[in-house]
Amino acid sequence: MSVLPAGVREPGLFENYDLGKFYDEMFSAPGVPRPHYAKIFRTLAATATGEFEERRQLADLSFLLQGITFTVYNDGRGTERLFPFDLIPRVIPHSEWDRIERGLTQRVVALNLFLKDVYGPQRILKDRRISRSLIYSCKHFRREMIGIEVPRGIYTHISGIDLVRDSKTGEFLVLEDNVRTPSGISYVLENRLVMTRTFPDAFQAYEVLPVNHYPAELAEILRSLSPRGEDNAQIVLLTPGIYNSAYFEHCFLAQQMGVELVEGRDLIVDGGIVYMKTIHGLQRVDVIYRRVDDEYLDPPAFEPSSLLGVPGLMGAYRAGNVALANAIGNGVADDKAIYSCVPTFIRYYLGEEPILQNVKTYGCSRPQDLAEVLDRLPELVVKSVGESRGYGMLIGPTASQERIREMRQRIKSDPRNYIAQPVIGLSRVPSYHASAGRMAGRHVDLRPYCLYNGDKVIIVPGGLTRVALQPDSLVVNSSQGGGSKDTWVLRGEN
Amino acid sequence: MLSRIADSLYWLARYIERAEETARILDVNYHMMLEQSYQSSRLRWDPLVAMAGEEQRFRQFYSEATSRTVFEFLAFRSDNPSSVLQCVSKARENARTIRDRISREMWEDINGLFHSVFRYNPQQEIAAGPHRFCETVRFGSHRFHGVAEATLPHDEGWQFLRIGWFLERAETTARLVDVQYQNLLEASEEMDGADSHLWMAVLKSVGAYEIYRRQYHSPIEPEKVAELLILHPQFPRSIRFSVTEVQSALREISGSLAGTYANEAERLSGKVLESLRYDKIEDIFDRGLRSHLSSLLKMCRAIGEDIARTYFDYVVVA
Repeated sequence: MSVLPAGVREPGLFENYDLGKFYDEMFSAPGVPRPHYAKIFRTLAATATGEFEERRQLADLSFLLQGITFTVYNDGRGTERLFPFDLIPRVIPHSEWDRIERGLTQRVVALNLFLKDVYGPQRILKDRRISRSLIYSCKHFRREMIGIEVPRGIYTHISGIDLVRDSKTGEFLVLEDNVRTPSGISYVLENRLVMTRTFPDAFQAYEVLPVNHYPAELAEILRSLSPRGEDNAQIVLLTPGIYNSAYFEHCFLAQQMGVELVEGRDLIVDGGIVYMKTIHGLQRVDVIYRRVDDEYLDPPAFEPSSLLGVPGLMGAYRAGNVALANAIGNGVADDKAIYSCVPTFIRYYLGEEPILQNVKTYGCSRPQDLAEVLDRLPELVVKSVGESRGYGMLIGPTASQERIREMRQRIKSDPRNYIAQPVIGLSRVPSYHASAGRMAGRHVDLRPYCLYNGDKVIIVPGGLTRVALQPDSLVVNSSQGGGSKDTWVLRGEN
Repeated sequence: MLSRIADSLYWLARYIERAEETARILDVNYHMMLEQSYQSSRLRWDPLVAMAGEEQRFRQFYSEATSRTVFEFLAFRSDNPSSVLQCVSKARENARTIRDRISREMWEDINGLFHSVFRYNPQQEIAAGPHRFCETVRFGSHRFHGVAEATLPHDEGWQFLRIGWFLERAETTARLVDVQYQNLLEASEEMDGADSHLWMAVLKSVGAYEIYRRQYHSPIEPEKVAELLILHPQFPRSIRFSVTEVQSALREISGSLAGTYANEAERLSGKVLESLRYDKIEDIFDRGLRSHLSSLLKMCRAIGEDIARTYFDYVVVA
């Protein structure tokens, strides 16, 4: 409790809060909370900065003691860092979530159908809806996968679809698809746990849909893939090891699903069967939830220098003796140059109109797009198609002349490798600005995690809200200094 | 159970135990030496370094073994792989590679210990003396035992933890008796007669002082100290007790019955136990304490090597 002289009011957490020119998730106008944020706003506005600070430190300590960290590599040896957590939740009313859920379901089913087609009959190429050269030039297109029948026809068991809300229209747009090995779900579950411990009172005022059934749902899908039947399924989670930035998540999921966490050196392939090395000899493995990238999975087949993989794994997979989730070759579907074709997939495979729109995207391989991109570079965001996690990106409006010049050269020398998008004014959520001791608007995105079991898409309500904690930053990736928030989908509207 | 996980559990336990033993020895000896009468004596600090088996490395960094240099070396130095900090760090590293297989409480406990020992400022602690630091480590290790006992299923993984703890403990006690016996015999010659305070310190460094009192009702005699630390059937830091635990854990894993063995590690532990159970301390002194201890140490190392050969690094014929 702070002691202030009589008549002096302690400055509230929302003192001088500036909405800026952006869509604010909490406020519709200065000082006017949206209906679904009204109760949180009232609670926070009545909270003294000191008490809020105390709760924040409690939350940070809890993350540190649990060792919920990720690893960054910019210092050359890998340092464990806390993933910054902001206590103000991102709240989504049910009707809005309902639309998002339908949009994601449609998109995930279409992406799976596309993968099944492109590694199978290739109807979409024969019908000339998409050019063969665009597909075959994708860095992550795997010719080895053509003609292989994957268990139950599922490629995208787990997808993370990145959404943003455009401040101009207030609409959610799809920014990017991640259908290889999307990470972050562990933060969704841990954030919720810490939040219920730190702000139990806030939960009592709302009906927040639960998220902690994710591991059970995922385990059930993995079990259904077992070539020896569900009852005998030996499931493992394959991790690159403790130096991987998502190692915490690999442990977390293995533990929550009750499956074995293995490294490449624990597995061995003999006679087309995958085994793991136990203290009582070799034991057969049926399903591998792999968090190792395609190119490192089977050293002789892909990247000979890889120490992370399992020699012979591709053969066992091809023979149908082991199931992999996600499938190999999914990278062709989340290539940034393919992204602009996803609405076409939805129309072509499902005969439906996309519910969630894409961000307008210029593919530099198209001559007219290339000219426009080179012309308008200072106002666009440029992304390298093969990269993810915010690496190799240029944000025109904030970039130096020199970086823009450099990017122009790189695009000219390899146009296929770049796409460009207008800068989206991402919506903001009030976030605690520690050095000022009050709230400030910070840009957010949203990554829901979608599970596909071949019949239906299961999405845990909400997902990971990533927040750019640097003032005015639009980059939310954890490797680039972003943090996260708990995401609440309400059972009703407020 | 994956071989790699069994391997990590075994080393996790060994490193925790090693950190605790080093902290105990450091704490007790440091405080004994503070008492005036011993400062002038021939008592030296190097035996503590010898117990850790790091004499050579120590000489690379320091010209003299003093309370400060030995404390710094054994507790904090990152270039001493046996320092307490390094042991705790390696224990945590092992726990981290298997954190999905140990209980969440175990992980949080070891992670918390790691953060708390690394928060100490070495220079400040060296000035303040080792007690505070050593207590943290000792309590940390005890808590870890308790948390593991109460939250980990007592399956094969638990048996590998037990093997790690008790094999490390058997070796440390053997080295402690060996080194201190030499050290104190030499010192007492110089001071004309054995000094019970020195032997008391040895007992205290393994938490055996009260047990000695109850057991023997007599002044502290070096032979009885050795008997307690080597042959006592129930004292949990005696060599006999520790090897009994190792043997029992090995049998739980393989399912061997009493009087039989399934691998070399079980055969050797049985052989060592036979002598520990049926020899008297006089027999051991007749044959020579030092040679007895050094053969014990050799056997313990062989047991460790065979466990690795049997369960961790076996050759797969594909």
